[in-house]
Amino acid sequence: MILTDNLTKRFGQKCAVDALNLNIQPGTFFCFLGPNGAGKTTTIKMLTGLLHPTSGNAVIGGFDIQKQPVEAKRLLGYVPDQPFLYDKLTGNEFMQFVAGIYQLPETTYRANCSTLLEMFEIATVADQLIEDYSHGMRQKLTFAACFLHEPKIVIVDEPWVGLDPKNIRFVKDFLKKKTREEGLTVFMSTHTLSIAEEIADQIGIINQGRLLHLGTVDQIKALQENPGSLEDVFLVLTQNNHEEGA
Amino acid sequence: MSQVWAVLVAKFRIAGHLIASVRNESRLKVGVLSVSALGLWLGAFFLLHAGFDFLVDFGGRSNAEFNFGDLLMSRLLSILALAVFLLLIFSNVLVAFSTLYRSKEVVYLLHAPMRFEHFFYARFLESVAFSSWSLAFLGSPLILAYGITANASVFLYFAAIVFFIPFIIIPASLGCLITLLLVRIFPKIRLWNVVLLGIMVVALFFLYFGNTLRGTRIAEDTLLPAFLDASARVQSPFFPSHWASKGVLAAAHYEFRESFYWFLTLTSSAMMCLWVTGAIAHRIFYMGWSSLQGQERQRIKPMGAGILGKLERLLRTIRNPQRALSVKDIKLFWRDPTQWSQFVIFFGIMAIYTANLRNTSRYFEEEMWRSFIACLNVGAVTLILATLTSRFVYPLVSLEGRRFWILGLAPLTFRQLVWQKFWLSVCTTSLFTVGLAILSGYMLKLEPIYYWLTVYSVIITNFGLAGLSVGLGSLYPNFAEDNPARIVSGMGGTLNLLISVGYITLVVGAQTLILQWRVLGRYANPDTFWYALALAVLFITVLSAICIFTPMRLGLRNLNTMEF
Repeated sequence: MILTDNLTKRFGQKCAVDALNLNIQPGTFFCFLGPNGAGKTTTIKMLTGLLHPTSGNAVIGGFDIQKQPVEAKRLLGYVPDQPFLYDKLTGNEFMQFVAGIYQLPETTYRANCSTLLEMFEIATVADQLIEDYSHGMRQKLTFAACFLHEPKIVIVDEPWVGLDPKNIRFVKDFLKKKTREEGLTVFMSTHTLSIAEEIADQIGIINQGRLLHLGTVDQIKALQENPGSLEDVFLVLTQNNHEEGA
Repeated sequence: MSQVWAVLVAKFRIAGHLIASVRNESRLKVGVLSVSALGLWLGAFFLLHAGFDFLVDFGGRSNAEFNFGDLLMSRLLSILALAVFLLLIFSNVLVAFSTLYRSKEVVYLLHAPMRFEHFFYARFLESVAFSSWSLAFLGSPLILAYGITANASVFLYFAAIVFFIPFIIIPASLGCLITLLLVRIFPKIRLWNVVLLGIMVVALFFLYFGNTLRGTRIAEDTLLPAFLDASARVQSPFFPSHWASKGVLAAAHYEFRESFYWFLTLTSSAMMCLWVTGAIAHRIFYMGWSSLQGQERQRIKPMGAGILGKLERLLRTIRNPQRALSVKDIKLFWRDPTQWSQFVIFFGIMAIYTANLRNTSRYFEEEMWRSFIACLNVGAVTLILATLTSRFVYPLVSLEGRRFWILGLAPLTFRQLVWQKFWLSVCTTSLFTVGLAILSGYMLKLEPIYYWLTVYSVIITNFGLAGLSVGLGSLYPNFAEDNPARIVSGMGGTLNLLISVGYITLVVGAQTLILQWRVLGRYANPDTFWYALALAVLFITVLSAICIFTPMRLGLRNLNTMEF
């Protein structure tokens, strides 16, 4: 579902992402881990077509994101870490706008919109201007809008910021259910390792632009002689790499 | 006061980094911006110089003991100083609301153990800088033009610089004080209330001024006495603008004692104003800010209700995604008071222009003047149009800004996006400007040939100017800025305005040439005139096509290669 072939991005002399090769199968919950500045957001921006790769390519659902962006984006949903929305629209109007730019049929829009607004508990504030929303409400609206066009692949960048524990649980269960029952592919970048350990089918660890390790949670844990939590293993792996790099 | 100093130092450092970042910009960008700014400054200088020269010639011999032009010039300077003073109060009311209550830094600074008085002084400088920088830019050619025309000494320029700071501090303090009181007295006041109040104050001022000159006509000899009577009133000793103009002019005439007296009057008043405003800010700022934060913020806008709902239903014939994008753009514009308040001002200018045309036609009985006034009318209407497109259409692409992830992720192409902005611009600006062209043509009682040429020129320039604004807006987008006024004042916005004015000049010039030659009898036979007219129309059409497609193509190419 998501395929990258030697995906590379350079900013002048600095190599932000170095020859990244991924092959994520449909229905996989993929967690992308790495310390700050490791290249996670750059990778996400290349996968979503917001950034042009210096070399290599990214294929989303069989469509090259650079060569066939419209076809690829029809399959794609995205939740950024900072939900910049149109503050002067109401929640309902924003959903209608998203339905319009994704050219959804009226019936699909009406059915999905009310279900998602109810599900994310923002139906009661849907006629209020977004500028009056709290950070958490904005994040929930972003999630609702992301699923409005029934994407096959969802890319999520650190989604837990601003969500309360109840909503974190809800989003976690919602994404897990979608991958298990509907074959949704999730590509999630996060620093919350306990959640990654709990729900990920596959984990990729990136540091200084290079993919260090790729595998299931157990495979990653097995890289250490006395594995503890994923967090312990992650810290050791990225620390080692940092020292080697230095 | 060290806290104030710490904030100011940080602000100066930010300004320094911004200036230093020019090195990272492309040379073309910096070059165009510098040339544009210089061109604007020089244009203002030569225009003002010509205006002052006219006044001196009007007043009699320049070496005479008493030149009536000198009196007119000094009166004009007093009027300008008072107008600038009042506008500075108005702009400071608006800027102060943003810098004292709405800026993201406010919360951070209020967390610090800082007295509210010191917080006010720290934010005051930013308010003054934002509201007054244009006065320094456009006031300098005025003083220079006046100085050269009046053969003033070098002390005129020196005094203008020295008087500038206390002169801008008084209206800035008054503006801040009005905002502080408004927020404290009406805690639920919205920005659009402040804007409306400001517009009302400015309208009352102009109404008063217009009322004073009522009944006078350019061709009649009542104008001058009425002007002198009205302008004498602006020289009241109670106006700080009068102190400033008196002090600067006294310095120019080597009357240093008098100049120093006015300088001390101005400076002591400025310091007093600032101190009083600071003391009041210390007492009432926090209460006002707290009330503003505590107000109920549940602005409910039910789907499909109101004017916007009706408009949305009207647009149902348009296909998505164009419809969704257009509805979104219209709603964002409608709900932003800073946007539509300026639009209302443009609308007011159009109304004043049209109302004044009613009496104009009777003064132009000769065909030469009728032809000339028809061409000038095209110039006036298209200039209003260029201002509309430069101010409201140019920032449309940039305003997507940090929300570009929504559009960037959607299955639509940038081609669809920029053409949607183009058609939205054409449809909305045409409503006003083509209407204005038809109305002004009717008011001026234009003959059919002038009338239809006016209407055609305005229709075609709607397309040309939309192409320029959307195209250049896509070529030089500023995604870091959310404020449309700041987007417009950047390099791309200035370039867009200059090219738009150049385009209008060519459009108006082409038809003026053809029509005036006919009036002057330069064509050997009537057929030649029709061929020439067809050629002019063709030229205007081709020029407009170039103005549409070239910037649109360049802008589209830029967006396609851009990274977000």
